[in-house]
Amino acid sequence: MPTYKLTYFKARGVAEFARLLFAAGGLEYEDVRVEGEQWQQLKPKTPMGQLPILEVDGAMICQSKAIGRLIAKKIGMAGKTDLEAARADMITDGLEDLIGLKMSFFFTEKDENKKEEKKKEFVEKILPSALDLFEKLASAEGYFVGNSLTWADVNFFSLFNGFINRFIPGDHLKNHVNLNKVMGNVSSNPGIAKWLKERPETQF
Amino acid sequence: MPSIKYTYFDGRGLGEVNRVMLAAGGMKYEDVRLHESKWAGMKSATPMGELPLLEVDGTTICQSNSIARYIAREAGLAGKTSIDQAKVDMIMEGARSLFDKAAQIFILPEAEKAVRKKKLEEKEAPELLEYLNKLASGKGYFVGDQLTAADVALYVNYESVGSLTIALPSLDKYPNLKKVAENVKANPGIAKWLKERPVTTY
Repeated sequence: MPTYKLTYFKARGVAEFARLLFAAGGLEYEDVRVEGEQWQQLKPKTPMGQLPILEVDGAMICQSKAIGRLIAKKIGMAGKTDLEAARADMITDGLEDLIGLKMSFFFTEKDENKKEEKKKEFVEKILPSALDLFEKLASAEGYFVGNSLTWADVNFFSLFNGFINRFIPGDHLKNHVNLNKVMGNVSSNPGIAKWLKERPETQF
Repeated sequence: MPSIKYTYFDGRGLGEVNRVMLAAGGMKYEDVRLHESKWAGMKSATPMGELPLLEVDGTTICQSNSIARYIAREAGLAGKTSIDQAKVDMIMEGARSLFDKAAQIFILPEAEKAVRKKKLEEKEAPELLEYLNKLASGKGYFVGDQLTAADVALYVNYESVGSLTIALPSLDKYPNLKKVAENVKANPGIAKWLKERPVTTY
């Protein structure tokens, strides 16, 4: 039985979906949260100078998606066939484009006026059309891949709650029946429901 | 053998890593190159309104990284164990991030572009390449001692960034990465593709 140690900042951020996956699969892991001087000392020891990292079986894996995929495979949530796995991957990548790329101005734009402009464009155009797109990719049963929970669904939940709802509160999914079902399927997974109740409260 | 159709623009960019891996795996495929005007009409029929696309077994997969991983598995370049596969994944993400940073700079207004370009060339790229160099072995492999998609991703992304007129440090500074590039170029399928592929500006 391998031991897992996940290290990230004191936050949900881009590591949270890994924590949700551990919870969904009932996998024990050490949930390490670092900051400041601790992080500075750890940084050169990491594969690419970034967090999160996952230590398992003497290996140190970085890159949140690589970590997520490893855990998802372990708990049988990576898709049943190679093509299902590719579909789960593509949903995850698409979500990262939406949140990581198109929403990055939230964290990097220093000019308040420009930020407000970009936020307006994001909320009025970019987000709705992305959600329409993801709505088409999700099934009526509320799954992105096949007919059971995969890490693609968990990623959607984590990014939507952690980034969209967190920074731009609003009823963004009111017209998206399938996506609402995805959110419900994820939050009602027993392991995940327990984690959502018990996880540390962090600002971000 | 299922028929494979790969669609991208007529360039290398973020679509090339998949063509190189198909070549490494000796996999036959239809290499469709779209002109921008043709793409406009097709866009809404695709999963996420983007290229590249891989069509196989009646399924369409988008997102170049996801396509890359699928091809890597089919071509036997994905890594043998779950942990090896995770290592291949993380290197592919890291190598790709270099390209993504360069591509983002490309679309900036001139003043901002110059500043960001300098930062990438003088700080971010050397730092990342230094980390990647430590992750590659002296024999020039990121995982185990044979070619994986990680090695291919490093080579193709490095090459593509160069085409975006970003002056990356020479691989001579990173001996392990230099060997990785040599191993990639020496793979028979890849060598053939590099010689025969259409010459494009990016």
